[in-house]
This record gives sequence, C-alpha cells and structure tokens, in this order.
Amino acid sequence: MQQTNRISRAWILQLLLSVAAAPQIAQAVPSFARQTGMACEACHTVFPELTHFGRMFKANAYTLDNLKQVRDIDAAKQELLSLANLPPLSVMIQISDTWLNSPLPDGTGGKGHSQTSTTGFPQQFSLFYAGKVAPHLGAMIQLTYANDSGTIGIDNTDLRFANNIVLPQETNLIYGISVNNNPTVQDLWNSTPAWGFPYSGSNAVVSPLAATQIDGALAQDVAGISAYVMWNDALYGEFGAYRSAKQGVTNPITGAAGPLDGTVSNVISGAAPYGRVAYEYQWRRHDLEVGLYGATFKLYPGGGSTGAPALLSGPANEFRDFAEDLQYQYIGDQHLLTIAATHIHESMRLDASFAAGTVTNPTDTLTTTRVIATYYFRRKWGGSISHFATTGSADGGLYPAGPAPGVITSANASPDTRGWIVEANYLPWLNTKLSLQYITYDQFNGGSANYDGFGRNASGNGSTYLLLWLAF
Amino acid sequence: MKRPLAIGLGCLLLLAVSSAGADDADKAIQMAAERVAVGTCASCHGPQGHSYSPKFPVLAGQHASYLVVQLQAFRAQTRGDADALGYMWGMSAPLDDAMMAALADYYAKQAPRAGPIEEPALLARGKDIYQSGDSGQGVPPCAPCHGPGAAGTDAFPRLAGQHREYLIKQLGSFQSNMRNVAVMHGVALGLQRADIQAVAAYLQSLGQLP
Repeated sequence: MQQTNRISRAWILQLLLSVAAAPQIAQAVPSFARQTGMACEACHTVFPELTHFGRMFKANAYTLDNLKQVRDIDAAKQELLSLANLPPLSVMIQISDTWLNSPLPDGTGGKGHSQTSTTGFPQQFSLFYAGKVAPHLGAMIQLTYANDSGTIGIDNTDLRFANNIVLPQETNLIYGISVNNNPTVQDLWNSTPAWGFPYSGSNAVVSPLAATQIDGALAQDVAGISAYVMWNDALYGEFGAYRSAKQGVTNPITGAAGPLDGTVSNVISGAAPYGRVAYEYQWRRHDLEVGLYGATFKLYPGGGSTGAPALLSGPANEFRDFAEDLQYQYIGDQHLLTIAATHIHESMRLDASFAAGTVTNPTDTLTTTRVIATYYFRRKWGGSISHFATTGSADGGLYPAGPAPGVITSANASPDTRGWIVEANYLPWLNTKLSLQYITYDQFNGGSANYDGFGRNASGNGSTYLLLWLAF
Repeated sequence: MKRPLAIGLGCLLLLAVSSAGADDADKAIQMAAERVAVGTCASCHGPQGHSYSPKFPVLAGQHASYLVVQLQAFRAQTRGDADALGYMWGMSAPLDDAMMAALADYYAKQAPRAGPIEEPALLARGKDIYQSGDSGQGVPPCAPCHGPGAAGTDAFPRLAGQHREYLIKQLGSFQSNMRNVAVMHGVALGLQRADIQAVAAYLQSLGQLP
C-alpha cells in the first residue's frame, strides 16, 4: 500500500509539474521581425496571437526574409546555402508579481502561512533562435530560464521544412514537415493548447490536478514529427506521431541519456499518433477557423524504483484525446476582436494503473472547455475574458484526498474545476506588454468550499498577477 | 554568294537561339513571380490580387507601371504611410527589378471586378466629386487623370473596385503628407471628410468600365 501510494504520488507530482509548466508558453519573437523587415502587426494582432499572414509565415517554415544572405550554389544553380548575415536571435524576459487570494499553509508543517505574494525576477528569461536556417528550412528554438526550476532548459521548439506549389487555377499548396517537442506547438491557430490563452500565467499559484494529455501535460517531454499541407490558404491537414524525449533523465545503470526504463514516469509506448484538420474562411476583415485535433497516447506510468519495480512493458494507460476548436478574428485598424474556443475530450483506459492499484477505475473521462474573448484598441489597450471548465469522472487514485495540508488534493476525488480569467493589457510599444491578470475559481479539484478536506476553498486559489513582458 | 548566305543563316540562328533564351528567361521569371504572388503576396492581397481585408489594396487589374513605381518606392523606403512601413518595406527589400516587373505584370493581367456597394446614399456625391471636383473647396475632378471609369492609365492608378477603406486611408495619407506625393497632396488637401468617404464609396462600387 505504501508502494502504491508512492507510485501514485510520483505520478501526480509529474502531472502537477506538467500542468504548472503549461502556462509558461509565452512567446514573442522579434528576430522574425528583423528577418522579414515587417512590423509585429503583420504576423500578430498583439503578440503572441497570429494573424493570417503570421500563420502563413509559420506554415512556410519561418523562411520569408529580407536580410543580406551568405549564399552558395552549384553548377546547376541549385541553392546550397542561404544564411542570414546575422543570426535570428531574440530575448524575452518576464518580470512578475503574484498575489494568492488565500495564503498557503507553511510547508514546514508549522501552523503559520507562506507569503501571499511572490516576485519573479525574472519569472522567465528566454533566448530564441527563430528564423530561417536554409532556403526551405526554419526553426523556432527557445531556451528558458525559469525561477521555479532555477535552471535553463529547452522550451518550445519547432523545426520546419516547407515548400509550396502552384496548382491549377492559381491555388497555393503548402506542404511541410514539423519536428517539435509539444503537441500543438506546431499549430497555426491560437485556439489550440500550446498557443492558447492565457499566453502567460503565474508559476507561483496552485494549479488544479487535472489536465488532458494534449493540453500541455507532455510539453517539452516528447518529440514529434508531422507532415502537413495547407491548400489555398484555407484547408489545413496534418498527421504525425510523438515519442517520449525526456529531459534531465538518465538510465540508472549507465548514467547515460537512455535508454529509458521503468524508473521514468509517463513514457510513451511506441509512437503516439497526432492528427489535425482545420478550415479557415476569410471575408473582409473577418477570419473564422473551425477545426479538429487529437492524439492517442499510450503511457507507461513508470516511476518505479528498487523494491517497487514498474516496467516499460505490458499494460499501458491509454489516453484518447479528441478536440474541437474555433477561432474568430476581426482585425481593424482601430478595433481588434478575437474569440477562441476549444473543447477537449479525453477517454482514459488505465490498464496499467488499475492493475497496479493506483487508480480506482479502469476507465475515466476528462473534458476541458475554454472560451476566450479578447479585444484591443489600436493594439495598445486591451483585455481578455476567459471561462474555463474541466469535468470528469471521480477517481481517488488520479485525484486523491491525500494527507494534510491538502491544497493539491481533492476531498471527493473529483477533477472538476471551473473559473474565469480576466486580463487587462497595455502595450506602450508592440514588443512590450504590461498585463494585470485575475483568476477566480468557482470550483477547484471537485469542490467550492473545503475542496481539499482541510478547509481550503476554491476561491482561495484565485490570484492576481502583474506582468511586465519584454521581447527584443 | 554562299558565304553571305551562311553568315545570314548563322545570324538568324543566333537570333532564334537568343530569342528562345530570352523567352525562356522571361518564362522563368514569370513562373517565379506567379509562385511569389500565389505563395506569399496572396496571404494579404488575396487570390489573384482580390484582397479580402480592406487593409490591403486590391491589386487585380492594376497598371503594371504604377505597381513597379510603388514597389520601388517601398524598397527605397520613400513611401512612408503606416502600412508601407510595417509591411511593404520588408516585403519589397529582397525583390530585384526583374521580379518587381514580373509581379506587376502578373497583377496587371488579373481581371478586376467591382466592389460592393456599401453606402448607396454617398454614391451620387462621390460621382460628382470624381467627375467634376468641387471648385468651392479647390478640389479638381479626378476623372481627367484616373479616367472616366477610374480604370487608370499607365501613369495613374486604377481606382475602380478598390476597397473604400483603403482609399479613405490613402487620401488621408496624401492630405497629411505621410504618403508624400505632391500632386495628390494638392488634390486631396481641400477634400472634406464626408467627401472623401463619398468618393471612396463611389470608386469601390465601380466595375470594369472602359
């Protein structure tokens, strides 16, 4: 029973770390502007949300450029090299302050409380290589220092090859390949998880227990390759597969970066298929996208140790994620409006965890819905309001009651969480954003009042977050 | 007799070969331009130059000579209205003269069409200003330069079917000299806001007139 608890806790900790990492996907890449010679507004409404042109720039592998190039050709005038004179480097820094509505219990087990506010200086510091690598090859590579880990690590990365052909009736067909480390980071719309709202969130708050796998749980923990096409700037299709690509993990026998074994948590069995279709329709200043995306991840829970083995073979936990998304944009010179929504449904078949006794049900479901409305005036003043809700089947293994002091536990084994995010933004310049974000929870880990069984209320996990976000 | 004939035939052959070479080069640049237009320009200027958003001008049917002059002005960074800075300075920078000419030719060959009638109440006043000007405000008529149907000429751009909002913004840019064109600054200076809206609405509604 003790072993079971340990495995369960390791699994939950992994989940929590993943979920906590999920909001740190904030990105804006001025080296793209330097490369293209175009202002941020060409590709972004307000960073990091993309315009149609920005989506096409991404689909074309970030290769559009106007910089002086170092070139080489062969006798047949085929390009062997086309390298910008200056490397496409950018820096992003986030400085923040976060206030929790209710202080957390003191982690030492004393009866006091932790501080209610946390200053992040920086909360996040990122270095980007973002731009063309070769004539049809581009990259967006992010290295991030974050104050919670206190280390520098690989962040969202997307390497792309793309080309286009002109079809009869002068319609355009882009075809390409993306190699990336986060399902949906390669996506072109801001309605999918990796680039969805909130574009930045505090890492000094309490995150709910439940999140679907495609919703950031595997970010930077996997490597995927996918092939995509976009026809006529409108119809998009993509298919690919992901494998585990763990960071900071070694084989316990050799001390080398692999092979992975049962000591590692949440390892993909084989390759996880990923698919995406979307249709974008433009009229006047309006742009509407509707789409589907999904993946099936078979994960070995792993997390074993000497005396508590957990093999990377035999039964696995299967997570089938299927999602719909929608994005509407109105891009005027004065007024900009975006409405985005996604609905992710996850069916879990937890053969491995059920056999190990770390979950209470052999199958579970989890559904997340997010709806966001964003308005900007002249790309300078703006704000967003978002409603989010996660519901699912109760499972005492996945969402355990846990010991004191609670907080990241659920008294009724339910993942149900819902609330609102309200954000106000001011951009004195297009690459500088000041944000004030407020999150409020109506329900957290299955309850409103005393959700953890230790007297904490959902509203107590609400937070106020002040952010200065610079990209240059 | 044989020698001059041989020289003559040789010259003809050379001419044919060089002509074929030039044709091939022309075709290659035309194909490259079509690929750029369809693969890159169309993201903003729409399929075949019919842009969706009025932020970006319709290019279909625009005169090649005017387009080349504008592309050169973007590349030289002498056209300074806001969207020129934000978008076209960068886009035009890698284009050489041959590509500019081929792109201009591509768009000139696309069939223009009339835009929607959005403000019918303004059309009569717009037409009046376009055809006759407003002497009281010191506004000359537009038609003598841009043509009676606003189809333009090699020297003056086509305005028929252009987005109303784009035209309004350009007339404002001429007035403020943000887009520094002396002739148009003088022409537009006396236009009142309501008249700018009227003439823009009228021009958007025009189709493929002679």
